[in-house]
Amino acid sequence: MNISDSERVKTVLEDDMGFTWTDNEKDAQILGIVACSVRQKAIDKVYSKIAEWNKRKNKQHLITFLTGCILPADREKFLKMFDLVFTMADLPKLPDMIGKYGVVSPVSLNRIEKIAPESIKDFWHITPHYSSSYQAFIPIQNGCDKFCTFCAVPYTRGREISRPSEEIMSELKILVEKGYKSITLLGQNVNSYGLDKRGNEISFPELLRKVGEYGKQSSKDFWVYFTSPHPRDMTDEVIEVIAEYPHLAKQIHLPVQSGDNKVLMKMNRKHTIEDYREIMHTIWRLIPQATVFTDIIVGFTGESEEQFENTRQIMDEFKFNMAYIAQYSPRPGAASSRWDDDIPRDEKKKRFHQLSEDMIRHTYAYNQSMIGNVYPVIVTGKDRKEGYLSALTEGKIITRFPSTEESLIGQFANVRITTASAMSTEGELVNVKEPELIS
Amino acid sequence: MKSTLEKHYKIQQIRSLTDSAYVVRFDRNGIKFLPGQHILLGPPNQIEAREYSIYSGTEDDYLEVLIKEVVPGNVSRKLKRLEVGEELMFDGPVGYFTLNMRDVLSKKYYLIASGTGIAPFHSFVRSYEQLDYTLLHGVKYGNEAYERDHYEQERYILCTSRDEEGDFNGRVTEYLKQNEVDTDALFYLCGNINMIHDCFDILQQKGVDARQLQAEVYF
Repeated sequence: MNISDSERVKTVLEDDMGFTWTDNEKDAQILGIVACSVRQKAIDKVYSKIAEWNKRKNKQHLITFLTGCILPADREKFLKMFDLVFTMADLPKLPDMIGKYGVVSPVSLNRIEKIAPESIKDFWHITPHYSSSYQAFIPIQNGCDKFCTFCAVPYTRGREISRPSEEIMSELKILVEKGYKSITLLGQNVNSYGLDKRGNEISFPELLRKVGEYGKQSSKDFWVYFTSPHPRDMTDEVIEVIAEYPHLAKQIHLPVQSGDNKVLMKMNRKHTIEDYREIMHTIWRLIPQATVFTDIIVGFTGESEEQFENTRQIMDEFKFNMAYIAQYSPRPGAASSRWDDDIPRDEKKKRFHQLSEDMIRHTYAYNQSMIGNVYPVIVTGKDRKEGYLSALTEGKIITRFPSTEESLIGQFANVRITTASAMSTEGELVNVKEPELIS
Repeated sequence: MKSTLEKHYKIQQIRSLTDSAYVVRFDRNGIKFLPGQHILLGPPNQIEAREYSIYSGTEDDYLEVLIKEVVPGNVSRKLKRLEVGEELMFDGPVGYFTLNMRDVLSKKYYLIASGTGIAPFHSFVRSYEQLDYTLLHGVKYGNEAYERDHYEQERYILCTSRDEEGDFNGRVTEYLKQNEVDTDALFYLCGNINMIHDCFDILQQKGVDARQLQAEVYF
């Protein structure tokens, strides 16, 4: 989400104001942060960064801004440090705000970023400068109504608002025509898409079907992903549609967060492990080749040793291809911050390492099973290993192959896997893929 | 300083239930909701808001929430000081702690609450005439049986842990341990997380599947 937001910020600064991007922070005249509200650590980094930038202000002219997921109470604090603090929905007004620099008056200091449907529509109308020539993100939904206790998004981004499906399809078609190969539909709760419109918008599986039908008619080769879904809204229909259409990538990111029902209750996840298991069985039945990624929090407030062991068990049961494991850090503003953060830091670290090792056993086994097979991949760039290019399979398994042919970057290719480790694979280029060859 | 919320709703009535608990009734303005959903509510001209389950029924032409004043509490204390005619800031409704109509017509429900966790159950009972329920309400003292006359007498069981004014002397968890439950029923739990976790363990031991349980955590 932050990549997509950042691309739109960049567009406004470049197109509407004439600024140019610099990779060197010290050269910048405007510096900004797109913040994330899920974890306190991210907000701590904001404090550290702005302190550094404000020191530089004594030596050079610099405008600083903060946007993204920020709690209303935090906005007040940050306004004392940043020149501009605004919600993402107010991004179209950024040129005006910068124009008034010196008289700091952020438009939206006092408002939850919601629900200003008009503002978020303006935001969606910004055509971003995509930072990649083959990979792009399309926001399809903003906000969250789930109120997971560890997360402040409902208070920073407001209620769920779905973007009109015509706009989504239009942006998708433009990207495909431009040759983008990997397109991700984005939202805080992507698979509750359309529910806020109460029958006046298509549902998420219907949107996926439209994408799939367009793919069928298109002569272009591309994969469409989505993130991040909530298990509660992961219906059989969503999985059936993914199974049906080749352009819908067979990779599913499905955050489980914990393997223990009592922890899930405390997280207010509104799903049980039994519900999650049922979804996984449907995925395995309908899309056996699918890779599944997940998010897990260890050391959540009150998480007992036994509850953590339940999470280790589901890691063994579901054999995730990737788990983004976070050590719990309370986020002020999120409901769980009112409970004691009672798992010692060392214990959280220990659980993090144990679970990571569990994951690695399974990713290693899966990646080993790929050896000898040929996989279509998108070539993503030069690899750190000299003389190699990096690529991603449809299931987002990292692979590399020997080649210095940089013209392949952003193209489909077929790679035969020859060796594998826990986090990546290596192979040899079989051929560069012809456009209509998606199977 | 302006409020964090955007919709303004006028207060019609504030009904005191105990020294700290009260019901705020305010304009509904055509808002549609499902019993069990919650709203975000805040006093005017303040940044902070809190989630409160809707207490009123779907057929009522007003909205009500049941609030317990918390010390220190930025929102609950300020809301209590508001007067009839003043405005509340409002957002929602949202939430998934709701009933399936098919189950309402065919299943038995155990509604288990601690303190003001009874609020969504009040909305259930007020909205679904056909609801076959047993309501276990855990409080410290008998005077916290918030508006118990709104429930059918034989369906409401007050569990008091600090006096003997209840129908059962002890916590709801003790009641569950000591009494049989219909293990085919659906169990809705709302209130303090420790109560919810303890009930979860007891009900699992009695053979209730995790998927028969729904919980709404209060703070």
